[in-house]
Amino acid sequence: MAVDRRGFLKFVAGATTGVLATPVPWKLLDDVSIWTQNWPWIPRNVDGENSYVSTISKLCPSAAGMKVRLVGPRPVRVLPDDNHPLSMGGITALAAAEVQLMYSPSRVKRPLKHAGDGAFVAISWEEAEKMLKENLRRAGSKVAYVSGDETGTINELLSGMAKESGSEDFYVMPSEVQPAARAFASMNGNGQLGYDIENSDYVFAIGANILESWGTVLRNRAAYKNSHPAAEKPTVKFVYAGPVQNNTAAGSDEWLPAKSGTEAIVAMGIANLLIKAGATIDAPDFAEFKALAAQFTPQKVAALAGVTPAKLKAITAELSKAKRPVVLTGSEFGQGTGVATVLAGTAVNMLLGGFGREGGVTAIPLAPKVIASGMDRAEIADKDLVAYLSRISAGKVATPRAMVFYEANPVYGLPQPAAMAKVMDKVPFKVAFTSFLDETAEACDLILPTPLGLERFDDVESPYGINQAFYGLARPVAPCVIDGKPAADVLLGVAGQLNMDLGFETFEEVLQAKAEAAGADWDSLMEGEFFTSDAVAEQSDLRIAADVIGKALAAAPKPAKLSIAPVQKLNIGTPNTAIPPYNNKTIRRWELQKNEMYVAMNGATARELGVVKHQRIKLSNSSGSIQARVNIFEGVMPNTIAVLMGFGHTAFDEFSKGKGENVMELLTVGYEAGTGQSVWNVAGVNVSKA
Amino acid sequence: METKEFTIKWGMAIDLDKCTGCGACMVACQAENNLAPIADASNKIKVMNWITVYELSNGKPYPEHDVAYLPRPCQQCGHPPCVSVCPVIATDKNEEGGIVSQVTPRCIGCRYCMAACPYHARYFNWRDPVWPGGLEKALTPDVSVRPRGVVEKCTFCHHRWMAAKDKAIVEGRDPMDLAEGEYVTSCTEACPNGAITFGDLNNEDHEVAKLASSKYAHRLLERLGADTQVYYVSRREWVLRQLDNYLEDEKVKG
Ligand code: SF4
Repeated sequence: MAVDRRGFLKFVAGATTGVLATPVPWKLLDDVSIWTQNWPWIPRNVDGENSYVSTISKLCPSAAGMKVRLVGPRPVRVLPDDNHPLSMGGITALAAAEVQLMYSPSRVKRPLKHAGDGAFVAISWEEAEKMLKENLRRAGSKVAYVSGDETGTINELLSGMAKESGSEDFYVMPSEVQPAARAFASMNGNGQLGYDIENSDYVFAIGANILESWGTVLRNRAAYKNSHPAAEKPTVKFVYAGPVQNNTAAGSDEWLPAKSGTEAIVAMGIANLLIKAGATIDAPDFAEFKALAAQFTPQKVAALAGVTPAKLKAITAELSKAKRPVVLTGSEFGQGTGVATVLAGTAVNMLLGGFGREGGVTAIPLAPKVIASGMDRAEIADKDLVAYLSRISAGKVATPRAMVFYEANPVYGLPQPAAMAKVMDKVPFKVAFTSFLDETAEACDLILPTPLGLERFDDVESPYGINQAFYGLARPVAPCVIDGKPAADVLLGVAGQLNMDLGFETFEEVLQAKAEAAGADWDSLMEGEFFTSDAVAEQSDLRIAADVIGKALAAAPKPAKLSIAPVQKLNIGTPNTAIPPYNNKTIRRWELQKNEMYVAMNGATARELGVVKHQRIKLSNSSGSIQARVNIFEGVMPNTIAVLMGFGHTAFDEFSKGKGENVMELLTVGYEAGTGQSVWNVAGVNVSKA
Repeated sequence: METKEFTIKWGMAIDLDKCTGCGACMVACQAENNLAPIADASNKIKVMNWITVYELSNGKPYPEHDVAYLPRPCQQCGHPPCVSVCPVIATDKNEEGGIVSQVTPRCIGCRYCMAACPYHARYFNWRDPVWPGGLEKALTPDVSVRPRGVVEKCTFCHHRWMAAKDKAIVEGRDPMDLAEGEYVTSCTEACPNGAITFGDLNNEDHEVAKLASSKYAHRLLERLGADTQVYYVSRREWVLRQLDNYLEDEKVKG
């Protein structure tokens, strides 16, 4: 049969219609798309029954309360806990990643020891414990313990072991806790300062990064949430004073630019204006304080802190008008501030009638210690790790023979980390109890893997900032996924073999005793309940400690011409966690590009320095130097360079290692006059083109 | 094009004055919806995020500068530009609740929807997902893992709605009459500032419906007419102004 052109076209048209009408090609396309997605390496969903366990985070510095969702035996999510005073229906970007951190590629999976050639070799727990015991025995009293935990009773155990072996060297990694505790102690205070943000009607944070990282953040943020109804005028005004328009400034109703490290000066400026308006404090050293405050005229505050006199007066007027104002002071990056900062802030609260008043400052009682030879929180706060390492470096105290690091990462997290690491290098035996292979672990001779807070029993007592006494347990929600042992159990075992008398056989007994000392009911704690108490710590002979403030401020370092403002964000992790796998997506575009970090400055500063956006620069000072690219952000004070913390890890995994550089390299340690507290909240820097 | 009407219309109101840019919502979203982590997340075009938090600036120099953060999930358009271009109906706006679906096994990876979406809410799997170090053991059973070659996006945690309906049915209640808060997305739940309000836009009693009718509520690129189900609330004029393209002398409502 011959086919003419018309016939052929008819056939083509028919065939096309046929193809379109039959479902076969569509079905094939559908099948192809499904089959090409069925690869064996794509994980399948594993179902199971849902259950939820209430617990508390030992990884997030805010001690976030949380509910862990399990599917069958597997924890899969960290969820907020509406009923928990340290969650109040919210979760931090760090705590939200905690389940996933169980499987972090950086987890130490078994005990490791440093072989001669620098490599790590896996050893058995038996061998590891023997090595630990022998080295501690050999070191005798020449041993130092460093803890990265601020709220756990394990600190009593660690300090008890130090003391039992004749050493006073137990330290906690520096934070806001030490200066606050020392400040209150110098006021003759009893207990721990707490801030009743939720009942306040005017919240003024000087430095303290209260909506991101300061204190019990989720509680702060819940107070913010409740006082800022959506689409309505806020019922409570939040004001933030600091050098950078950070996350707290972004949420606050007003940002008051103030230079890094000048928190005490701003507070004194306000105190001066309040006193002039007739405010007083019923304290023996008020006259002295008044005379001191008088020096901090609005002009002087403007010169030192960069706060305009008009703004200072306006904020003071608003504070006086408020019925229940509260002032919170701290470092905008959570460490390195002096005792005077907290003292000056507390004095302002007292001038505002806020001490012991609802919506003001309270003193909460702390539970007594349960390990007799251990140190209590007040004693611990007096121990200054940075000062200790500096003294070793200067040859003023002997280098210990052994150092025990408990979930602490000083090699990364201390100011001038290279200098600090050099000191630690001299220590013949170092052991790290850690969940992750961090910088400090890499510098140790022995690495002992600890279960995460989700895999062990642990406790949290009244984190700094909370306005009521608190006690709660972290409970294991799942078996430990690595061959880890809780540090407390290992240490108690070793202590027993070294004939130390700590009074307890197991850590559970320690926790039970602590719970009882706190007034909590063990059984309900074990069910995920927590203990809170509205009891306040009794005070007598409270003073302002004007002399301490006076001495510190008389010798305070002058702000540099060009200074560094470190910026802390919980999503980027802590020295202990580094950047959790899910969290590096939260890093902004102009904070990090590939492995290069950005630092931020305003346009005027950039013009003055002759640099433009994306330009590579070198920041250096006497402590060290880092390289970065320039980002222009107008929310930075003039002559200030905002540098994110949390970059520049040399350990951990592909999610953190080698990304950017560590701002701690640029932070220079100084000592507060009078108190001797190590401080590093003022750092000058030079910029050159790289 | 007519907007398809539903009895229930799930929606969000995000208060841009309350968001501080902490990123908790982004982390919660990834863990809930089984997104894979990525070692270099700085190439924002290739990074998968169902919700992403953008930084906004009022553009003024120091000290007049102001900053805001804008969390951007899928806007769940009333007439979604992505749906009309999908050749295989892998994405549709057809189900009660008004959530724009995304049926990844059906997706052929042509990415027309990505080009059509005005909000950059859609992401393409350029690579197979990798969960290092056993991280796949923390996957939830709620959302299947997507392979290389398909597009994905925020589903308003649709599985949570299914679960809430199932629960209601088991308890002998009407699954179409859930109490406010019984179904919320993971980001809503996580946000410590309460910046995100979630609920039924068609239910006058729901907070989200009230917020959506506030004079401070705007939608992203509202004048494109996509009729989105995500509202942004701000009492700051400069913030509202950035949600759409306004002429210099044009007034912004609110
Ligand atoms: S969790 Fe809330 S405050 Fe944080 S970025 Fe998301 S919406 Fe903003």
